[in-house]
Amino acid sequence: MWKTILRRLLIMIPEIIILSVLVFILAKAMPGDPFTGSINPKADASQIHHLMRVNGLYDPWYQQYWNWIVHLFHGDLGTSYEYQEPVTTLIAQRGMNTFWLALFTMILTYVIGLPLGIYAGSHEGKLPDTLVRVYTYITMSIPFFVVLVVGVWIFGYTLNWFPTSGSIASNANGLGSTILSRLQHIILPGLLGALFGTVNIVQYLRSEVIDAKSSDYVKTARSKGVSTKNIYQHHIFRNSLLPIAAFAGYSITGLLGGSIFTEMVFSYPGMGLLFLNAINYRDYTVITSLVLLYGFLNLLGTLLSDIILSIVDPRIRVE
Amino acid sequence: MKYRRKWLLFSTAAMVLTATIGGMASPVKAKNSDKPLDLPTQYSAPGKSTKAGNNSTLKLAIMNDAPFKGIASADLSDNDEDTQAFKPGNSNLLFKTDDNHKIVDGGLANQSLDKDAKTATITIRDNAKWSNGAPVTAKDVEYPYEVIANKNSTSQQYSSDFEAIEGMKEYHEGSAKTISGITFPDGENGKKVVIHFTKMAPAMAYTGNTFIWGSADPYEYIKKVPIAKLASASQIRKKPLFTGPYKLDHLVSGESTSWSPNKYYYGKKPNIKHISIQVVSSHNSAAAIKSKKYDFYLGGQGVPTSEFPSVKHLKDYTWVGQPAQSYNYFGFNVGHFDTKKQVSVMDKHSKMGNKKLRQAMMYALDIDSVDKKFGNGLKWRGTTLIPPFYKQYHDDKLVGYKYNMKKANKLLDQAGYKKKGKWRTQPNGKPLTIYYGAMQGSSANESAYRYNIQQWQKAGLNVKMTNGKTMEMNSFYSTLQKPKQNKIDIYSGAWKLGDEPSQTSVYGANAPFNYGHFVTAKNTELLNKMNDEQSWNESYRKQQFYDWQKYMNDQAAYVPESYAMDYAPVNHRVKGYNINAGKSEDFWSDLSLTAANPK
Repeated sequence: MWKTILRRLLIMIPEIIILSVLVFILAKAMPGDPFTGSINPKADASQIHHLMRVNGLYDPWYQQYWNWIVHLFHGDLGTSYEYQEPVTTLIAQRGMNTFWLALFTMILTYVIGLPLGIYAGSHEGKLPDTLVRVYTYITMSIPFFVVLVVGVWIFGYTLNWFPTSGSIASNANGLGSTILSRLQHIILPGLLGALFGTVNIVQYLRSEVIDAKSSDYVKTARSKGVSTKNIYQHHIFRNSLLPIAAFAGYSITGLLGGSIFTEMVFSYPGMGLLFLNAINYRDYTVITSLVLLYGFLNLLGTLLSDIILSIVDPRIRVE
Repeated sequence: MKYRRKWLLFSTAAMVLTATIGGMASPVKAKNSDKPLDLPTQYSAPGKSTKAGNNSTLKLAIMNDAPFKGIASADLSDNDEDTQAFKPGNSNLLFKTDDNHKIVDGGLANQSLDKDAKTATITIRDNAKWSNGAPVTAKDVEYPYEVIANKNSTSQQYSSDFEAIEGMKEYHEGSAKTISGITFPDGENGKKVVIHFTKMAPAMAYTGNTFIWGSADPYEYIKKVPIAKLASASQIRKKPLFTGPYKLDHLVSGESTSWSPNKYYYGKKPNIKHISIQVVSSHNSAAAIKSKKYDFYLGGQGVPTSEFPSVKHLKDYTWVGQPAQSYNYFGFNVGHFDTKKQVSVMDKHSKMGNKKLRQAMMYALDIDSVDKKFGNGLKWRGTTLIPPFYKQYHDDKLVGYKYNMKKANKLLDQAGYKKKGKWRTQPNGKPLTIYYGAMQGSSANESAYRYNIQQWQKAGLNVKMTNGKTMEMNSFYSTLQKPKQNKIDIYSGAWKLGDEPSQTSVYGANAPFNYGHFVTAKNTELLNKMNDEQSWNESYRKQQFYDWQKYMNDQAAYVPESYAMDYAPVNHRVKGYNINAGKSEDFWSDLSLTAANPK
């Protein structure tokens, strides 16, 4: 297994290189540049050319790529044209915000989704199952954007239960106060994200439980007189988790993905808006760094999913 | 300065001229029937301010859908959100102004201009200090020029106007280590700076001009940081110094700033003990006001225009505002840019080269009705290229292009654009298809674009959107910025002007932002006159602005579409809120609160 993991990691290197070249060329092929539509109109043409030259934007793409690679190996992802900050600093700041929110949302999603899925599956066709299904249909059919706006309006502005903007209070000082304030700020977006993002887990788990209930090994266990509780714990639950485990790797690496809607509504500085704005404003250094990061995380996510699957299901071996 | 992000949300295209720090003017009633809301420029809550109120936190918001960048230096910042987020520090502004942005004595420094000697002398007040207690020195006034003009600088503020300072060009090109034209009669640690110019301009008497920089940098504090890396240094981002009434206590990157009084401030001591400024999404800025989360909003808008009716009559807020420094306009492509000579050239035989065609297209639009429908009293038809914000230069007698379809048809007939079947043809009989370029925007924007095309088609002109649809911002500007292009014949754009509204940098022959390439000897003459020797006389200068507005209206190469209001809700616990430019020096110090929480 370790050999396989090592081999998969090594294969990632050429994949990442090809991805980086593609991203670099495509980014440069987009109309505009970091200064399009944004130069101070009191600057004259020569100043615009000066800024383009200083930033190496008139160099051929392969030279720009090479410069970028050389810097990359020195741990320097460049400076964002838009934010005038090193890309590493920018990603670290935003990544941290996104990570905590996404982690909180993911934990809540599983905490809500797993019991609901099992409960609905084990009560197939009965009232609890119907209620859970209605819940998932409702959450699936309402656009998440609407959920966020209505959520912040009710719980943030009307009831005043939660903060409505940002990732931390502006006057939070000291470790305890900082952690508490951060937690306060992620509860509402996290809870909304989890309550309205459980549909996949619940539905997968429900149908797997229903399938498993009528499978031979469960019938055998029943005929042997094994208690219902034991059957669920040792047979049904573990097998039903397989499809969810298959996504677990992506879920972990997806923690840095960011949610554009959440970040917009809650003015929460995260990776989603960073990526969107980088594309809109041709912030090449940020675009290439983020695409590479996401590319790497996706590859890693696939590997992690395989590993997790092999742990959950002993029949599957990573070879 | 670029304001594109903010503008993308509510307007068509956006760019901004210079820092728009500082003052404001009183609302001006438009002459046409669809006038804007007549908002006051100040508000003061009834009753006395209380100790509990002044000891509480003044809660402010900036409406923006992205985090602010966090560059607390006017030299290096290029967006309005940063300016607003650091505003209680007074942006280290040097000069106090009157209501027309003319520099007057009494600020951090005084300025005196000597036309004959071609010098500007800047004298810093004796008790001027940075928020760490260090004195403000002559070097602090000079250093921004080095930062802006350095060849490795990331600043976007450099313009060729700075080269009127002796030795500036050499420094900018890297052949000189210092700017020879900026001298310190009492040494770098003294209080006096003399700037020697090769030419003087009347614009120098106003803030926001492009010859004399209007803010200071704490040289001793930032001198060790290479200029190329200054914008990312913690001295600029995390722990910046200020000369204003408040000092920065805490900054959450991209989200919020919090402030307390600066004990070293030279001016009137502020009343309120704490200020917090928070970024709020446009999606819930209206809800935030309804639930009294904030005392007032900074920047041009408190809520999106479309949501204004829902919060217009809130019991505990008064709306304060004035005409904005921005305007929307139509531009016509009438030429190309000669890259060798670096100058725009007008092509007389270009598709849109006929003045009557351009005029007719403007008469065909009923902008009054469009603004009435979508503007909610905050937008109204523009009548000249100088918005009413500049009350000393805006000619309010001009009526612009009021809807008159009959006149539009008549002009087209006169110019020889005859109907052949459904559409009019060119005077030479060839078919005429006009391509309209507009940027993606709100649904109201998109409806307005469709309306424009419908009206032009009613006049018999075959107008189509460039590429059949609205354009993404980068595609739009890439197309317009090409030296020669035929994809866009007419476009919708927007400008925001600086405090000093000289027009050469946008509509001059050398201006790269003269996207339509409109150049005539008369236009050049009128633009030059705004800053010639005689224009030191204020009434003469005013007349030049008037003449230029009239001429541009007649030529119709660039035609104003709409003006807008800047508007903000002010909570009824706030006393002393006043946005008139002449009061900007004491804006923060004059504020006080009558209660511990927003009412």
